[in-house]
Amino acid sequence: MRDDLKVGVFLCECGGNIADIVDLDKVREELDVEFIGQFENLCSLNGRKIIRDAIFDYDLDRVVVAACSPISHEKTFQDYVKPLNPYLMDMANIREQCSWVHDDKEKATHKAITLINASIEKVKQSDAVDPIYCQTPDDVAVIGGGIAGMNAALSLAKQGTKVTIIEQTPSIGGHMAKIGKVFSPVKIAEECGMCLLNPILNELVWNENIEVITNAKVIEAERRAGTYNLIVEKYPRYVDTERCIACGKCAEVCEVEVPNDWNDNLSMRKAIYRPFGQSYPESYVIDMDNCSKCSNCVKVCTMKAIKLRGKPEKIPLQVGSIVVATGHKLFDMEKRPEYGYTRYDDVITQSELGRITGVNGPTKGKLLKSNGEVPKRVVMIQCVGSRDEKPDGHRYCSKICCTVALKNANIIKHKYPDTDVLICYTDVRTPGMFEKYYKHTQENEVRFLRGRPGEVVKKGDNFIVRTEDTLKGEFVEIEADMVVLSTAMEPSEGTEEIAKILNVGTTEDGFIKESHPKIKPVATDVQGIFVCGTAHEPKDITDSIMQATAAASKVGEYNYGGVEIEPFIAEIDTERCIVCGDCIQRCKYKSMSIQNDEIYIDPMSCTGCGKCLVGCKQRAITVNGNIDEKIMSTIKGVLSKKQDGQRMILVFLDNIGYTAADNIGVNRLSYPESIHIIKVISVNRVRPRHIRYALDNGADGVFIGEFPGDLMYDEVERKIQRVKDRIAEMGQNPDRITFSKVYIPYFSGLARKFNEFDKKIAELDEAGL
Amino acid sequence: MTNQQKITDSPIDFAEDIIRDVKNSKEDGVLKCVQCGMCTSTCPAARHSDYNPREIIERVLEGDISILEDDNIWNCFYCYTCHSICPVGNSVCEVNQILKQFAIKNGIGYDKLYEYLGFADSYFTAAIGAIPEIFFTDIDRDVPGWWDFRQNLDEIRTELDLDPPLMPSSEVIDEVSKILTITGFKDKIEKIRSTQEDEK
Repeated sequence: MRDDLKVGVFLCECGGNIADIVDLDKVREELDVEFIGQFENLCSLNGRKIIRDAIFDYDLDRVVVAACSPISHEKTFQDYVKPLNPYLMDMANIREQCSWVHDDKEKATHKAITLINASIEKVKQSDAVDPIYCQTPDDVAVIGGGIAGMNAALSLAKQGTKVTIIEQTPSIGGHMAKIGKVFSPVKIAEECGMCLLNPILNELVWNENIEVITNAKVIEAERRAGTYNLIVEKYPRYVDTERCIACGKCAEVCEVEVPNDWNDNLSMRKAIYRPFGQSYPESYVIDMDNCSKCSNCVKVCTMKAIKLRGKPEKIPLQVGSIVVATGHKLFDMEKRPEYGYTRYDDVITQSELGRITGVNGPTKGKLLKSNGEVPKRVVMIQCVGSRDEKPDGHRYCSKICCTVALKNANIIKHKYPDTDVLICYTDVRTPGMFEKYYKHTQENEVRFLRGRPGEVVKKGDNFIVRTEDTLKGEFVEIEADMVVLSTAMEPSEGTEEIAKILNVGTTEDGFIKESHPKIKPVATDVQGIFVCGTAHEPKDITDSIMQATAAASKVGEYNYGGVEIEPFIAEIDTERCIVCGDCIQRCKYKSMSIQNDEIYIDPMSCTGCGKCLVGCKQRAITVNGNIDEKIMSTIKGVLSKKQDGQRMILVFLDNIGYTAADNIGVNRLSYPESIHIIKVISVNRVRPRHIRYALDNGADGVFIGEFPGDLMYDEVERKIQRVKDRIAEMGQNPDRITFSKVYIPYFSGLARKFNEFDKKIAELDEAGL
Repeated sequence: MTNQQKITDSPIDFAEDIIRDVKNSKEDGVLKCVQCGMCTSTCPAARHSDYNPREIIERVLEGDISILEDDNIWNCFYCYTCHSICPVGNSVCEVNQILKQFAIKNGIGYDKLYEYLGFADSYFTAAIGAIPEIFFTDIDRDVPGWWDFRQNLDEIRTELDLDPPLMPSSEVIDEVSKILTITGFKDKIEKIRSTQEDEK
């Protein structure tokens, strides 16, 4: 009998985080279990000993750890209960969802008792199950061949892993190839960017573990049991890279000239061209959109490398993990017409200034205005599109623009000491060693003005930059003959596309989101997909390389250890299954397929939502882990502690909603004590009978939250509506059930919704509805 | 002179009063100001007078209530450029309007308002805001030909094949007057008028 099971409860004081609000003595009095332990830090190694000793001494069958959130320490305590099966332990979250959100000690204590009791009832329904281990293929796809992708690929390759780099443009190298000079704060000197990039590029080219596919994009991705099946579309280059010796005769005879995008369109190139001197593959390429098909190049090519006909080719690629290094793009200046960028040639971006001052740029490194003269005064405007809440602007700081402006100002000052350089800033952000470079720049007689210019207008031959010198409190009109805009970094189109194709989460700004901003900065919310470089957020070359090598290291961990998956997923009874394929159609996560004449369920993608099981006519599908009974027992465990006149609201959330709810506590916001959160593996597993039972047995309200990005969202929303309709038919008030969107970052919104729902339920109670 | 901040001082209270005002549409925008001066850089009043929108927010955040008595706040004429350009989503323009209302409540600025009472009167006489006659000379000086244009408006409209201007009917005028009287608008402007005329 499950009721006879010996349960041990372990209370964590969390160094006062819990014990200061929750009266643990009172909690101990109220619980009826085989054993109760208490410790100041249960997650410490001493805690492990207390738990393990009690399991042996009292012969415990089940364990409840009342401490922080399972999101923080479930893995720790699953390990601490060994030799007990990890799934025979449940955590009652009395920190993030109790002591951190409530002030009233008495109410918080009662809520802690309720939550622990719910865990006790739930854990009695748990069965010993083993986690599923998946070994994934070692091969890796690195998407994006900029400095981040190149370093990730190289690090992996040197550790013996096969890597394929997929690059959208005709050459790897990325933004760093065109940046001109770079600097390090320690050296206080600018050095040639290409000279630093080239050795990395060469090493990569010669490494046998690396294959580079240029002119190509991932257009499809499908995941099966830890394996990604990618479809890469490779666009024709029209020049055979094996034959081409990059002699350049073809470009000489080409009759078409178009703006050179690698030079930010500041110079012209031919329709057949090599992107830049050190580009790889070392081969020309035809820009077919602009080719006139005159065949001059074909005639002149002694290597017979050129073919004017070609079709895109689809290349299947099977890998175990993916590194996303799809980079950034720069803010579109059409969105800020007040700075005149599109109207005036001598209003340029820092990127363009980098090309102009680069020795391989359009002016061979000479700083010249469009009329060929050296500018007398260059005014730089910071934070263009960054730190900007106006439409199309970005709230974040792009992080590198202060130092980029300092670098370019110094480069100008070295070559043209007579040119006045003035940087209009709001804050100069030069953390750490960069501060030394800032001082160095001041010593170089670069001037700084604290003020954010609102507009640039043309007056005669020059510009007028209108700003306030905020340190003087004085409105100033600065005459300049060149204006340089420090434009924001934003996610590249490739970054946005790949996020959709791979189904990885993005931030509100469209960058690839890490799984934890503090402690998991390279993993994404999808197992086996990692991120590095500016696809993740604005960062400089050094940080990009650090994150790239970190990503490579994470891939290594993943390849070595395999993946552990929670076993609460669907299972097929092959005796009963007639392979009708209905479940394949029903599954929103594309987890089901037919393999060897049987239904196969991909354990990596199955969420255990149970949609397949409800529809199976043969009743051939089960979901491991006794989920239905666990939910029911948790509900009973909560409601059995309801006191007279106490309002009780049950909240069902899956991992995303639960994390958002934890964040309310982490950020020390509050919500009413009536809110009792029940974590479920998938919101879809909350059945109508659970909701009806709750309302019939003391729950005053039921709140169900689901992340709109979840593939089951629409389905769950419809289901809840049906439950409400049914409740109404039975003469109960459907307003006691609510369905709500939840988002991890929007925890304050969730707290507000809890407060509002509690208020609404209180009103219904008062009105006797 | 040292500006001493006592432990009991709460400079932020002033900003909070402004944020709570019904006119404020930018929530906590005032508090997010980093004094970048972008508002001032595009403000027409800042170009032609000592009005400085950035300084308005600076003084508000310092809790400097004496700003209500500063003549400069009356130099903003609501072009909303600062409102639309502010990178942190603040609106000095709205803050200015709130400050003026605070000033009026405290009996400050009646002399500034007195010149505009003609606007208020036109709501009672025509149910629209019309330019008061005392400004006619100034406008004609600033906008050459304006007076002729105004005098010959009817003919110009006929020439352009336009109907005569549509004016509110007498019922509308009665209704508007009634609303303005009930809501206390009338009392307010009469108070301003009488105090100013008494002073004279």
